[in-house]
Amino acid sequence: MSALYVLDVPENRPVAEVAARDKTVSLAQVGPYFEIEFDRVIVIDRRATGCRHAVWYSSVAGTRDARITQWDKDSMRVEST
Amino acid sequence: MAETPHLVRGVDHVAYPTLDPAATVAFYRDALGFPVVHSICAAGWGPTDHPDFIHFFFDIGNGDRLAFFYYFGYEPPERGAKGDVYARFEDDVPDFFVMSRHLAIHVDSEDDLQEYRRRLDNSRWPVELQVLHETIESIYTHDPNGYMVEITRALRPVTPQEDLDANLTITALLDVLRDDAPSLEALLARKAELILERAAGWTAPAPEVATGARAR
Repeated sequence: MSALYVLDVPENRPVAEVAARDKTVSLAQVGPYFEIEFDRVIVIDRRATGCRHAVWYSSVAGTRDARITQWDKDSMRVEST
Repeated sequence: MAETPHLVRGVDHVAYPTLDPAATVAFYRDALGFPVVHSICAAGWGPTDHPDFIHFFFDIGNGDRLAFFYYFGYEPPERGAKGDVYARFEDDVPDFFVMSRHLAIHVDSEDDLQEYRRRLDNSRWPVELQVLHETIESIYTHDPNGYMVEITRALRPVTPQEDLDANLTITALLDVLRDDAPSLEALLARKAELILERAAGWTAPAPEVATGARAR
C-alpha cells in the first residue's frame, strides 16, 4: 500500500475526508497526521474539499511509495511507485 | 539542542536605504501612521567616500522599528529595470524571485487589517493584493522605495503540531539537499519516513508549554 500524509489541522481535514470517500482508501492517524492509504492511485477533487488554493497547494506532508502526478486547481492525483 | 536558551526578543530594527526620504515619510508616517521614534544625523566619517547621512526610525508596533538610511548626495548607478532601491535586477530575473523579499507587519484582527487597507487605499500607494493564505490573511503594496510591505493577521493561532511539522520539513529538506537534484517530490518522500519515525508517538505539549516555549 502507498500512503499520503496530511497534517491534522482544521484547513486540511476536508482533504482527508474527501480522500476517504473512496472505498478503496483507508484513513488512519499517525500522531497528528492523517495517513491516507491507497492501492495504485488516488484522486482528490479540490472543489469537493472546499480548500482555497493556498491550503490546497500546501496540504501534503508526505508521500510513502507514491508520487504526485497531478496537483492543480482541479485535483490531485497520487500514484503508487 | 533543545536546551539552548532562546533569548532573543523579536526585531529591534531592520534597516533599508532610501533615495526618497520625503516619500518614505509620507508613506510610513503620514499614510500608515507609524510614528517617527528615533533619528540620527551623522557626518560622514571613517571611509573617505562615506557621505553625510540621516538614519531614521519608524515604530512598527511591539517596540520594533523599521529604519532607513538617507545618504546626502548619493545617486546609485543605473541598474536593471526590476527590483527596489537596494537591489536592481535585469529582465531575465523572474518576478517570483524579485518579489520574494518583503517585510510583513503583524496586526491583531480583521478590523485592524481593514483599517490599514483603508489608509493605503486613500494614499498614493493603494493595496495591490489581498490574499487569504493557509493560516493568515495579508494585504500587500510596495513602498516608495520599491520594497514590498505586507500587513497580515492570523486566521487562527499556530498549533503545536505545526511546529512538529515544520521541524520534520526542515530535517527532510536538509536531507534531500544532499541529493544532486533536490525536489519537492524527494522531500515529501523523505518526510513520510520521518513522520513514521517521529510523529507516531508525538503528543501535544501541555498548553502552557505550547504558548510559552514552543517545541523545537
